[in-house]
Amino acid sequence: MDSRFWKAFGDWYLFAIAAFLVIGTYYFLKLNRKEQANSYYWLPFLILVFTVFYENLGAYTNYNFEFKKSVNAFLGNTEFPKYNLWVYNLTNKQISTILYLFLIKTWLEPSKKKYINWMLIVFVSVAMFLQLSGIEPLYLNQPFIFSMGANMILLGSGLYFIGIITNDMYLKANPFRLLSFWQLTFLLFTYSLTYINSMTMIYLYEFNAPLGESIGQIDRVMGVLNKAILVLIIASPFLGRFFDPEPFNASKKVSDLSTQI
Amino acid sequence: MNPTEDQIYVIIFSTLFLGGLMSTFVVAMVFIHRQRQAQNKQKLDQIKLEHEKTLLNIENEIQQETLTHIGRELHDNIGQLLSLAKLNFGSIKEHKREEGKEILNLVIKEVRGLSKQLNLDWVESISINEFIAQQLARIESTGFCQTTLHADVELDDLPKDQKLVLIRVIQESLNNAIKHASPEKIEIRIMENKREKQILITDNGKGFDSSQKSTGSGMFNLKKRMETVGGEFNLTSAVGKGTEIKLILPN
Repeated sequence: MDSRFWKAFGDWYLFAIAAFLVIGTYYFLKLNRKEQANSYYWLPFLILVFTVFYENLGAYTNYNFEFKKSVNAFLGNTEFPKYNLWVYNLTNKQISTILYLFLIKTWLEPSKKKYINWMLIVFVSVAMFLQLSGIEPLYLNQPFIFSMGANMILLGSGLYFIGIITNDMYLKANPFRLLSFWQLTFLLFTYSLTYINSMTMIYLYEFNAPLGESIGQIDRVMGVLNKAILVLIIASPFLGRFFDPEPFNASKKVSDLSTQI
Repeated sequence: MNPTEDQIYVIIFSTLFLGGLMSTFVVAMVFIHRQRQAQNKQKLDQIKLEHEKTLLNIENEIQQETLTHIGRELHDNIGQLLSLAKLNFGSIKEHKREEGKEILNLVIKEVRGLSKQLNLDWVESISINEFIAQQLARIESTGFCQTTLHADVELDDLPKDQKLVLIRVIQESLNNAIKHASPEKIEIRIMENKREKQILITDNGKGFDSSQKSTGSGMFNLKKRMETVGGEFNLTSAVGKGTEIKLILPN
């Protein structure tokens, strides 16, 4: 393997998320059928698989310049053939945001789930419009789409935190023993700390590349922490000593009901 | 400092500011959660305390009622029987003394029956159906009015708190009917469907205008007591048309 390959793929972040994927897959396969079919477990697993996929795809575009150049050309970008923003715009800024919104929805009390449905509809429609109309092309920085997604994640997290201080089921629980609490806390930090960075990415890299890279590390560190929580969520049925079941977890209700019967 | 440097500082400070803002938000939420949790626990403890207090009051009232009944029995029944036994034992005729012995045996049996009522253990052993049948038999034995009991279901597996409340509420409802309604007939129906158990107490007495607010606390107390065990107390009455009381317990 040549040095270009190691330069593209030999990164601590890629190794870390690949390790999380292995651990996550092991625990996901250990879950019973009913748990595997529950979105509380398969959605974090899907996010984990998807993240490893797109991060490696990003690395591959840096390894195979011709591939990156041809996709850029296909999208109409012949000016900046070395950009691989289209990978992260589509996967990290759009699809991941949608998946995280779905994940937040599983933890919200039923009366608040409708707000996430509306956010998803608005997000997809506006993102499609901005891209198809050429206002924010897929191959360049998309500050508006990112800020819209980040605001929706922050709003969804806000709805969750309002739930934990108003809903009786959350008031009975200890938030420090709920993985949803930790996941949303880390999501809040990830999206707020990377907010400015993502909006000014091209500017930062142009005028102060080392600083841009340093601030970009925040995103990667928070990303690793988020993936670690996703693994913990998947493994949570085996970690009953440390974490409590989620108050609105459907499988828990079913098992409670079966115990009553 | 050139404009580019300024802008970079703005970016760094904005990032730190947003991070700080989020930290404050999460800490504030945890703090409010803890506060509300404590308030909720306090409220729950208070409700529990009130529930226990209500049950204690009900137990006291049932004991009071029992003591009144025992006093009446001692005076009207056992006292009479003992006087009769004394007379028979004073007789020189053998068969009279034998009769005296039989009366004494009856007295012993009656006293045993009464002593069992002195503590509330009988509540555990008796079903609501049996209790209602006893109460109606007692009313009928006084010749006050006719009574009927229709039971579609046997209420024998109720928890003690529900049983105590039902016993007291039924007792009080029957007392009210006897005291205020002067009915010719009292009828009790026990029914159950998928959602709830129902006890319907109807009398054909004087009745009253139930749409007018009651000044006493009797009805309010009965309603409140049924609510402490998750049940309902509904009363409908009209002048000259009797009274209907519906006691509902969820399944």
